[in-house]
Amino acid sequence: MRETGQGAQGSPFDAVPSLPRALRSEVPRAISGSIAAIALAGALYVGFMPTGPVPALGPLLDPAHGVWAAARVAELPREQSLVLEGLSAPVEVRYDDRGVPHIFATTERDAMRALGWVHARDRLFQMELTVRKVAGTLAEVAGPDLLPVDRQSRERGLAQAAEAKWNALPSDSRIRDVVVAYVEGINQWVRDAGAQDLPVEYKLLGASPRVFQSQDVYYMLAEMSQTLAWQSDELERRAIEALIGEAATAALFPIEAPIQEPIQPVPGRTAPRYAAMKFPAPHVPGAGAVAAARRADDTRRRVALGPSMSHAAGALENPTRGEAVVGSNNWAVAPARSASGHALLSGDPHLSLSLPSIWYEVHIVVPGEMDVYGVTLPMTPTIPIGFNRDVAWTATNTGADVTDFYLEVVDDSTSPTTYRLDGEWKALEQRVEVFRGRGGVVLATDTLRRTHRGPLLRTSEGWLSLRWTALEAGDEANAFRNAARATNAEEWYRAMEPYKAPAQNFLVADREGAIGIRSTGRYPIRPGDGRGDRIFDGSTSKVDWLGDWPVARYPQSLRPAQGYLASNNQQPIDPMVRSDYLGWDWPTPWRAMRINEILRADAAMTPEKMRLAQTDPRSALTEHVRGAVRAAVAARGAEATSADGEALAFLDAWDGRFDSESKGAVLYNAVLQELTRRTWDELAPPGERQRLATPNTMMLVRLFDDPASVWWDDRATTGVREGRDQILFASLHAAWESARSRFGNDPRAWRWGSERMASVKHLLQLPGFGRESLQVQSGPGTLSPNDGRGTHGASWRFVVELGDPVVAWGTYPGGQSGNPVSSRYADRLELWRTGALAPLRLPRSAADLSGAQLRSALTLRPIGGGAR
Amino acid sequence: MKRAPWFAGAVVAIALGTWLVGWWITPVVGAAWGWVKRADPATPLLAGLAGMVAWGLLLIISASGAPAGSVGVAVGQAMRVGPGALLALTLAYPGLLAASAAALARAAGRRGR
Repeated sequence: MRETGQGAQGSPFDAVPSLPRALRSEVPRAISGSIAAIALAGALYVGFMPTGPVPALGPLLDPAHGVWAAARVAELPREQSLVLEGLSAPVEVRYDDRGVPHIFATTERDAMRALGWVHARDRLFQMELTVRKVAGTLAEVAGPDLLPVDRQSRERGLAQAAEAKWNALPSDSRIRDVVVAYVEGINQWVRDAGAQDLPVEYKLLGASPRVFQSQDVYYMLAEMSQTLAWQSDELERRAIEALIGEAATAALFPIEAPIQEPIQPVPGRTAPRYAAMKFPAPHVPGAGAVAAARRADDTRRRVALGPSMSHAAGALENPTRGEAVVGSNNWAVAPARSASGHALLSGDPHLSLSLPSIWYEVHIVVPGEMDVYGVTLPMTPTIPIGFNRDVAWTATNTGADVTDFYLEVVDDSTSPTTYRLDGEWKALEQRVEVFRGRGGVVLATDTLRRTHRGPLLRTSEGWLSLRWTALEAGDEANAFRNAARATNAEEWYRAMEPYKAPAQNFLVADREGAIGIRSTGRYPIRPGDGRGDRIFDGSTSKVDWLGDWPVARYPQSLRPAQGYLASNNQQPIDPMVRSDYLGWDWPTPWRAMRINEILRADAAMTPEKMRLAQTDPRSALTEHVRGAVRAAVAARGAEATSADGEALAFLDAWDGRFDSESKGAVLYNAVLQELTRRTWDELAPPGERQRLATPNTMMLVRLFDDPASVWWDDRATTGVREGRDQILFASLHAAWESARSRFGNDPRAWRWGSERMASVKHLLQLPGFGRESLQVQSGPGTLSPNDGRGTHGASWRFVVELGDPVVAWGTYPGGQSGNPVSSRYADRLELWRTGALAPLRLPRSAADLSGAQLRSALTLRPIGGGAR
Repeated sequence: MKRAPWFAGAVVAIALGTWLVGWWITPVVGAAWGWVKRADPATPLLAGLAGMVAWGLLLIISASGAPAGSVGVAVGQAMRVGPGALLALTLAYPGLLAASAAALARAAGRRGR
């Protein structure tokens, strides 16, 4: 045997030593072979097989196709030409300098096929996740931890409802054609993609893309219904009633908002209306009442449908009702109140913030048929918020009560097969659902049941069936499709008449100068007093819905005399005008009051003023609280210490702006928190800190008018009954102390920006893929509210001037690409954070976009369509 | 014997094979080299080094689209291992694959003699 490697033979490699001679001579070959075999077997095992939460390392680390390949495919090629099956003619896609694809096609079907392809290239994993969330199959890609989410999704039945909507479409309908083409476009991208092209999340999960189905489009629309369900939470109300009694509940959580700045303008009114209120004393709950409250609260948590106003994400301790974590805004001004003489529209929908963003910006041109720009939800071929060459539209959530619960009488409390209705036993519709994890392993099997009303849910209150408009017929995709072709506001609203869920305050402005708003959706007509804020007795059909509101009854206004319109999720119609029950979970009016104040005061609005208003730093609540505190300190007279005087002076000196450098905002917010905690202590079960619910700050402001109300009493103090001024004074005192303790003794060093930040997390909450601690101009009750955790906020801000031509500006928190290392992943965050907007490009043809405005040119060719 | 051409050949084979076929070509090339050059006790070490160099080259190519460091930072944080550890793992893993495969093939070859 020749040994080599003992010395230099012309190359460094020839000098590489083998194992030390001494060691070599003592290690029998069999043993060294065994060690090598074990090492190789181990390396191959972790290479091919996932180990716990770690996916198989081979495909993960593969530098050509694994996670590292994300860098290679991060940017759009300058030019690209590809074949896309099913096209009838070439489609030109031009990505502008903001990464927005402008799709120029000769038919709508071709345009939507291209849109599917474009969506898949940038947002495939987001689409997969959305579909799986609704379908209840997340555990198949993300593991058994998500089994509870899957169970809840399937129990609610959104997927079945979505499939029913898809199946109900006539076979020759245009929207069916459009959806099929769109989904084929997605699937072709998946088919043609190499492993290196797939989103990095698939690699981290060790998963592969699904084959998308046409009904998946309707899953996405169902998901939006769920996100915006905002169920009128009768289950929460039941818990509160058990704790404090019916009269007190009715006062603190009223059907009608006590401060009215409604969406539908009240002719001649130029200021908000404050309704007189009485606050009955709470019941003193006994052990039985507390147990009932807890039981109802448990049920509420069990069936919570989405980010209801007070329970978004469920992690915020004692959130204040109506301090919207999801608080959208829109407003428009007529030509008479704009500087340019054109109608202006501002859209500012607020949603959960995520990377990639919920929205994807796109411009679609089919000559003679459509020329529409706006934001799409990846997985849908429609533009729910946007504009064309004549009309602009946007939405806020109506928050109407469109869900009802029915306590059913069943034959068996553990495994029912029938339910009682009008004295007869009716068979429950049953289906067995199999839940799978990674690799198809069966994790669980559930039997799901339905009554004629909807899904039957097992809760600590008993078996509740759910009726929800989102689970029933609707034609939302077709409505959006047709609306995108409207040439004026009337046409737009006509096209949207089939729209059912989720109910939205659709604001429209057109180039003819019309502005309009309509709270559009399906609103059930209930028997009796028409209210849906309670749990109904399911044993009788007399409680079932009788029909739906006609469109004429919807809250609406077209060409209002006042020349402007605004919606901020507030109660749509002042009950003095019409008191039909539409819901009760109305958010605070502070945003509505502030924007109405701005719009009333300025008859020469400009796009720039509209933009500034989107992040306006003031809140209409501030002066209510500050004034009450000022009066309370004055009432204390000599009892106030110099520290109290210092605190009040500091609060008074604050300019009321919630910007990052604000110092007074820190103290103000601490006062508000102390005040809330001390005032609403009766809403926590005895001995607990966590309140079942917290009344809207509207109630706090109205309670200021009743200085001796029993609600001011602090239960923690015995032998003394506090009044308003004592609580306000104590709140200021405690807030000053707590702010000094948290932020330092020198208030000049305090910064509101350290207290309130936005946090845009990745869809899977992966730490390296999100952007945390973003300083934003936001505060409680401002037009851009922030709940403290900063996980919700403006999801898309835009302003449109309806002149000739239409001009628009916009941005959203994130970027067009879903690839975390792409320059287009989070490139808009800074613009969004500062409240700035980018000009939106609106080319009429592919040739109109060139030079620095053109980032990438893509040609999609039909089979046999020839090379470019 | 001249090891450099063999080393260069192995680097190219692993890099091309990984690019065109997949990551598992790395131990295949390592095993082939270990078998053919079983007389050379340095082969496993050099095969491991070739695996690391080949994957390193592929990482550089991947960085043509966006800095591969940004992938390391983002994915490293996502996997809670840190960017340095992810890079080290990515380079160590082919080294282990190729070296152990070469050592095993070499041992088998020598045993068969």
